[in-house]
This record gives sequence, C-alpha cells and structure tokens, in this order.
Amino acid sequence: MTRKLNLNDIQGNVTRAYGRYSFPFARYIFFHFPNPGAARSFLDAVRQKVTTAARWPDQESRPKCTTNIALTFPGLLALQLPVRTLQSMPDEFIEGMKQRAFILGDRDQTATEDEARKDDWDSHWDPIWQKSREPGTLGFGKDDVHVMVTLNAQSQSADVQDTPHDALDERTKWVLQTAEDCGVTHITGVGAKGDQPYQDASAVFEDVGGTLRPTAKEHFGFTDGIGNPVFEGQLPLEIEDEAVIGRGKLMGNGWEPLATGEFILGHPDESQELPPIARPPEFMRNGTFFAFRKLHENVGSFDAVVQEEAERYATIMDIPVDEAVETIRAKMCGRWSDGVPLSKVPTYAEWIAFGEKMGWRGDDVVPFEGYVKNLKYIASPEARDFRYADDMAGLKCPGGAHMRRMNTRDYLDPLNESGVSDTGVQPKNAKATSALNKRRRILRRGLPYGPPNNTHKDDDTEQGVIMIIMGASLFRQFEFVQQQWIQYGLDFHQGNNTCPLLGSHEQHKRFTIPSDPKSGKPPYVMSKLKTFVECRGGDYFFVPSMTALRMMAMGIVDPT
Amino acid sequence: MPDLDSGHIFLTTMAPIKPGAPTDSPHSSYEQRVRIALAKFPTANQSPATVDDPYNSPFARNLRNHLARMFVLNDTIYNGRITQNPLVAQLQGNKQIVPQPVDRLNAPYLVFCADIDAVEQNGDPLPATLSESRQKQVRAAYARQLWQTMEQELRDVYSNCYGFDGVQSADDFARYLDKCHVETTMPFHDYYLDLDNAGFHNLPVKPLLYGVLAPLLFGALVLVLWLFGAGHVPLLGWPTLPTWILSLALGAVLAYAAVKYAIANGEKPLAPAKYDDLPSVLKSLYIQQKFSEFFIDNQELPPDQLHAAFGKFMAEHDPQNRHAMTQKPGVISSADPANVTLKDASTT
Repeated sequence: MTRKLNLNDIQGNVTRAYGRYSFPFARYIFFHFPNPGAARSFLDAVRQKVTTAARWPDQESRPKCTTNIALTFPGLLALQLPVRTLQSMPDEFIEGMKQRAFILGDRDQTATEDEARKDDWDSHWDPIWQKSREPGTLGFGKDDVHVMVTLNAQSQSADVQDTPHDALDERTKWVLQTAEDCGVTHITGVGAKGDQPYQDASAVFEDVGGTLRPTAKEHFGFTDGIGNPVFEGQLPLEIEDEAVIGRGKLMGNGWEPLATGEFILGHPDESQELPPIARPPEFMRNGTFFAFRKLHENVGSFDAVVQEEAERYATIMDIPVDEAVETIRAKMCGRWSDGVPLSKVPTYAEWIAFGEKMGWRGDDVVPFEGYVKNLKYIASPEARDFRYADDMAGLKCPGGAHMRRMNTRDYLDPLNESGVSDTGVQPKNAKATSALNKRRRILRRGLPYGPPNNTHKDDDTEQGVIMIIMGASLFRQFEFVQQQWIQYGLDFHQGNNTCPLLGSHEQHKRFTIPSDPKSGKPPYVMSKLKTFVECRGGDYFFVPSMTALRMMAMGIVDPT
Repeated sequence: MPDLDSGHIFLTTMAPIKPGAPTDSPHSSYEQRVRIALAKFPTANQSPATVDDPYNSPFARNLRNHLARMFVLNDTIYNGRITQNPLVAQLQGNKQIVPQPVDRLNAPYLVFCADIDAVEQNGDPLPATLSESRQKQVRAAYARQLWQTMEQELRDVYSNCYGFDGVQSADDFARYLDKCHVETTMPFHDYYLDLDNAGFHNLPVKPLLYGVLAPLLFGALVLVLWLFGAGHVPLLGWPTLPTWILSLALGAVLAYAAVKYAIANGEKPLAPAKYDDLPSVLKSLYIQQKFSEFFIDNQELPPDQLHAAFGKFMAEHDPQNRHAMTQKPGVISSADPANVTLKDASTT
C-alpha cells in the first residue's frame, strides 16, 4: 500500500529541484570542522533554518531563499560518529569522488595511477577541490570539505529577474557568521583562480525582448532538466498522474512513479527491498546521497567542432550549413535546442514547422510570448512522453545520443525486437518496459554557473553546470551511469564511444548518426569530438534527514 | 553433453593439490605455491597497467582460447541438511534434530576452466556434434597445444598437484589433464547473429502433445462406452474392452517416449554460431576497427573514388583471410601495428 512520506523529516532539495524560473539562483558554501563540538553547534544552528520537503500551501508561502545541508564522509568522521555507523557507509562515499576519478572518466583512463599522479591530473580543478581529500588522507585531510550549505533564491522581483533576492545575501551572512561563532572554518578557493568565497550558480539568462530572463538552457544552448524522475510520495496525488508521464517507469501499466527507495533511504526500492544503510536505522532513514560535480563547459571547442563537422555533414547530406549545425547538435543531444525531442519531431523541416505551430518561431512572434509558450511546452508532458523501443536503430534519436544514455527509458528491455525495413519501418515493441533502467535513475539538482548569454564565452571563460546527482546509491545509480553509459557505449551498440556531450574524448572521438533508409543518405560518423565537458571538482555528500541532523547536533548517534 | 556446446568445448578440470609443503621449504605449502605461481601469470595486454607490458598472458599464445581461468578451490561445504516434512520424518523415524554429516572436499583443488574451439587444428570449422572419443581427442589436442606454448607456466602450477610428478611431455600432460577432467554442467556462451537460422533443436510441442493425447482420449471414450455396456466401437466395430485397454496403454507408452525424446532433444549440443571460432572473432575485431576508420575517412567521396578506395581496403585487409591481417590474441586493439598479424607473418 502507498505510504505517505514524512515530508517534514526530508530535506526540501530531495523532493524539489527548486526550479530555474522560481529559484534561478543558488549558492554553495563549504566548511571544515576543526573539532566535533564546533561541528555539533553549527549543525544545531543550521538545522533550524533547513527547508524541508513539506509542501507550500501557495506560491506566496515559498521562502525567498531556501537552505539545505549535506556532509561528506570526512565530515561525519570529524563529528566522531561511532565507528559502527561509519564503517557501514558505502565504499564510494568513504573514498570520495576524487579517488573514483578513474572509473568516472574524470581523468585519462589510459593512464595508470602513478602516471596520473605524476601528471598532476587534477591541476585544472578549483583549488578548493584540489586540496580537499588529498590522496592517502582517507578522511583526515586538513583541507577536506566537511559540510556544504546550499542556498537557493528567488529573483529580486518579477521585474528584476536577473539579480537574486536580498534574502540570499542575508542568509549567506547568517551562515558565515554562525560558522564563525561556532568555530567552524569557512573554506574558500572556488573558481579556476580560487578567488571566490563560495560557488555561485544561476540559470542562464537571456535577453528576451529587452529584458534578461532565466532560460531552461545550459551554456552550449541545449534545453536541460526536462525529464527528472518522479517517485512515489514525492508529489501530491492530484498532480502525480500528469507529472509521471515520461518521468516514471513503464512496467506494462502506463507511466508509474518509481519506488521511493531509489531516491530516499529507508524505503523499499525497485528491487522491492530496503536499500542497505548504516546503523542506527533512524540515522539514514529519509536521507540520501548526492554527487556534487562542477562541470566546466568548453563552449569554444564545442562550437568549433560542431561547425567543422557540420560543414562536412552539409556536403554529404546536401543541406545548408546552418541546418547541418542545428541537426548535428540535436542528434548529439536528443532534443532540438528549444527542448523538442527528436523522438517526436525527428527532422529539421518538421522541427521548424513544429515551432511555428506552437507559436515560438516565426518573424511575427513577439519574443516574450514565444519565450512563455516555449517554457510552457517544456514543462508539459508533451515534451517528455516518448519511448525509444520504437526506434531501436536510432533513426530518429541516435542510439548514442546524450539523452538515450542518461535515461534509457524502454530501450534496454531484453525482449525488444530490432531491425529496419528498406522503407525505414521499425518494430513498435509496444509492450517494452523500463527493465534495466529503473534501478539506474538519478535525480538532477543544481544549476548552471557562468555569465548570461549576451557575454562572450570560450574554453577559458568560466561557465558550466553545477550538477547535483542524487540517489540512494551513488555506486549503483550515478557511478554506473557515468562509467557505463557516459564513458562507454556497449549497452547502446556504440563500442567504446562515449557520450558525445559529457564523455571524455581524449581517446574516443566518434559519434554515429544513423540515417533513415528512406532518405537515401548514408549514416554520418562524427570523428573529431573533443572533451567538451570536464569536471572541475566536487565530492560525494550525505543528505541527512531532519532527525539525523538533530541526532548529530545532540551527539547521540547510537548504533547499539 | 554440455562439455560440447555451440562448437566449443567447455572444459572443466580439477587437480588435487598436494598436502603439506616440501620438506626443504616448509614456509610455503603446496597450496600457497600454486597461488604464487598463478599470481605470477602475466595478465593480458588489455588494461592501462598492462597494455605496454612486454609479457602477455600465456593463454594468448594459442589460437583456441576464448576464455581460460585457473583458480584454487579451497573447499566446498555442503551442510548435508536434507529437508523433509516433519510428520513424514517422524513416521519414518528420522530424527531431524540430529545433525546430518557435513560434506567437504578431500583436498584443495586447482580448477582449470576454459572455453575453446572444439577443433584439433587451428582454424578448422567448428563441429555441431562430436562423439565422446572425438571430444577426448579435442581435449588432448588442446592440452598438447598448451604444453607446447606454456610448458614452464604449467610446470610451475601443476608441480604442486598430486599425480603430476611423471609428466614430462605434451602427451603426458594430455593424459594427466584427462584424469582431472570433470563434466561441465552449465556452459555459457555468446550470442548468435541470426536466431532464425541458428539451427536450434526446437521441440515439436504440438505433434508430441497431440500424439500422446489422441490414444489417451480415444481410450477414455471407449472406456465410457464399455462402462455403459457397449460391446463394440461404433463405425469401427472393434470390441470395446481390449480397445480401451490397448489405447490407454499405448498412450502411456507414447507419453513416456515423448518425455524421453524431449530430454534427449534438450541434451543435444547447440550448433555453432557463424564466425564463432577464435580466428574469426579476432579477424572481425580487426575489420571492425579498420572499416570504421575507412568509413570515416571516405564519407564524402563520390561513388567512383569510393569504389576505388574500397577496392584498396579489401586488398589491404583481406576480410576473407582469417590468418593474416588480423588482431593478435590478448591485446585490446589493432591500432598498434605490433598487435596485428601481418600477411607475410607466416613466412617470416
């Protein structure tokens, strides 16, 4: 039977993404605990400001600035939690993200550990993350990040959208003052030069009819964040039916929410079991984990590579270069730049017509009205309601496209049939399920960082995405997706080829765009990919429940 | 006969490891020595740490291994508890609270498993079936090949095993390995390219079912007639009593035969998949890499130039030749020319 979640015990960023339109700004502040007493006082103060998952009765009751908190393993160690609790924590959480760089593909996978160390492989990371978790310290590094406070803020007002509400600075001051009062060290060193006191992030702003407005885009220009998973108990029942379309699982009864335990500990997961947790049970129940990853986007390289490939593609396909640019970008991602999925609108001509029909493309469209219509579409089930099992060969959306890798939907059902007729007809696989996908879903929280779209951007300017990848098991969900689906391609019949957008392209530089036989054109293989997205630091964090925060603050985590 | 399946031998051998340690070197038991010898085997040149290593896996020295594994099986423990309904046990006088014996291996064993092409000469076509004696010959041929390519490694490992002392030649090793042979009961294998023409032994379920049901139903019908006092079967005129008895008996015999047939059908080895021998697998890995490069390099060529380029590709890489212009075993890619068996390799 359905169990109602204790939303007052779960942190708000677990159930909510704090949308880019309602909360377009975020700030991530990092601290080190010099001693357990200071740590407890700090947690006790901050927990009383934490935004929980409790539902807001109306728009007005939303806070101007939310507050959430998460800890690394060294943080738990510094709190001197009992060894029996600490030793049952997941291996990957204990080791931390830097130690997992080899399997994540964050460093060259053809180098041995020794070679990578000599190479100083993380020298491009932000200084804060270079210093945190020095190799060999395993939780006792003097500059380890122990705790992160996350603030998400609304805009100043409906008229001034591109600056954050004053509440963000007020809350920042409060957090920093509290840390100082408690004796907790604020760690700075954010940014390529290490000159930023904390990590700021915001939606990418764009000039819409003379006003800067938040967009759903990241810095390459793709529309992002449409298909976040929906799980049981997350949303009020009255909106769940619609929200779950394209965001839940397919198990033969249409779209259904995923099991709570995939994303929140202490609840049954998709294997119909309780995920393993450390003792005492109430310490981890209603908590979860996330990977905090600062992903830099090499906008210059990306645009240059797309342009070069598009010129060759245009020659072979006999189309104009600007059509080739749009098409190649869409084929790499799985969506056109305005968020329309290739699986529903596969060709360039159809896409142009679709934008006109929907009212955001065309000479007579008022920019703001077009912007609003596009955002409305992106938020609608229409933008998410599609499958891949009816396109096994990837004629519409290539098998190796970014989106097909991140969320395979019903593509991996072992009973799917494949094949293409001479006229491009493929099996429908109408009964395909989310088998082999529903245990590999991730909640994406976080925001882009960097300048608005009216500013020059290249590889050296600082822009990217602060990815917060949340799930009950970093190993089973995030690390699997990163290692097997982003940095490898066998599950998609792509051999060693990595994700065209997020993958490392130091060794493997190819991406295949299949072609519909009825077009009479050959497939095209991109072969000059560069690494467009590179990690600039981060770590694995535990998101405690309100109960766990209180237990840590009181110093009564008792596993016996 | 799961030892042979899909044209491959799924070999399992178990060699008991000697007890104790050599008297002149008591610090390392024979079991420890086996583990040391195994730990010293180089791994294949397939990971960042080993890709440039001058030593490759000794199993990469032959062209039959798809997979090989040696490990020490220290023990297997069966706690012997045979479950039984407590009431039945009580009636039979079995005391279930008395512990039953725990079964264990009599010694640690060196297990050697391999998935190999079921051929006696490299490159022979894979067989669909093989008699017991031919299977034995194939296993012996493989053992001899191992001895010829990795005698030292085999000596390092097997010299710690019981019964190996007299082994001095490839034939001796083949005989020794045959003594260690146990039947594989669950082989694993890779995929077929074409399921429709894979030559599976599909069970003719409907003919078997109808064949068994027909005499049974007929017998049951005649039995009813006989019970109602009919002396003869209508239309046929047969006497009902012997007819129903014989029909039911025939049905029972056919049911038994059908079950036997189904089991025998299931025991038949699957036919080999096309291109499933190791030389073909290596060649396909090679062609896959070279053809990808060819495709990328020539994407925009007009038809006549593409045709000419393809002719050159075919001449250079010779797709039909499984023995030259192919990837060597135990390496990760054909990118390094040192990993490729060239055309003149047989003559140099």
